Amino acid sequence: QVTVVGIVRHAEKAPTNILYKVDDMTAAPMDVRQWVDTDEAGSENIVVPPGTYVKVAGHLRSFQNKKSLVAFKIMPLENMNEFTTHILETVNAHMILRKNLMLASRAPQSFTSAGISDVGGYGGGSLPVNGLTAHQSQVLNLIKNCHSPEGMSLQELKLQLHNVSIPTIKQAVEFLSSEGHIYSTVDDDHYKSTDAD
Amino acid sequence: MGDVHEAPRPRIAAAQLAQYIGRPVCFVGRVEKIHPTGKLVVLSDGGGCNATVELSEPLDEEISGVLEVVGRVTNQATIMCMSYVQFREDKSPFDLELYNEALKIIHEFPEYFPFG
Repeated sequence: QVTVVGIVRHAEKAPTNILYKVDDMTAAPMDVRQWVDTDEAGSENIVVPPGTYVKVAGHLRSFQNKKSLVAFKIMPLENMNEFTTHILETVNAHMILRKNLMLASRAPQSFTSAGISDVGGYGGGSLPVNGLTAHQSQVLNLIKNCHSPEGMSLQELKLQLHNVSIPTIKQAVEFLSSEGHIYSTVDDDHYKSTDAD
Repeated sequence: MGDVHEAPRPRIAAAQLAQYIGRPVCFVGRVEKIHPTGKLVVLSDGGGCNATVELSEPLDEEISGVLEVVGRVTNQATIMCMSYVQFREDKSPFDLELYNEALKIIHEFPEYFPFG
């Protein structure tokens, strides 16, 4: 699971998915596929125009030595400083990966996409590790442990975290969502975790 | 000319132009001056150094703010522009000095930010 920040060079809309080509200057534009749920009204139906900088969270796939991304979240960048941050996060991610390769005895599950360290062409991968506050971690863990198809609702979160205010929960949810840890399901009040259990 | 986008384009600062002559690069800078012909634009990077960008077609509109230019470095250490993108600053200003710091880091640790 990775995050890539780049500029949309091309967008092609198909009945079930949208194929973008996202370019972050480190290599040729990369295929990013976003599946569209035809029943779900909302942001998936809006195609991001070429020339826009976006942040994509998704799963890295390799097919015949060509890499592509299956995106579950594509967000146009509102603040270009996020892009500078992403460059720094990428460097940080490489450092963490290398350090962990050396401490091979401890291997946290979020490092399963080992393709990042030998991905010569894509400096744009960043890892969602150690960046969470206590509240965000709590919210994420609760959502991860929820196995119902429609996910965890904000009301459920509030019930479980009775000492945390609704605005704090909402902020945590928004952050986790923008980092690609969770995604909304039936509506904006229900979320599921992107990490497979 | 569009093939430049198929190759890796290192991000550089104005001071590094001389080292990348003949190669495609990506340069981010703030518009300082536009030549009356509209074919030359001077951009300043986060370190205060200037770079001259040559456009294949003259600009048809007043451009300002931060630009990201993709192009090839000429023998005179200017950039022959293939394409450019204007950075959005409507929501918040772009911190060019911070970007310059990030550039320093990625060049200091190329093993952590591979290009191609």
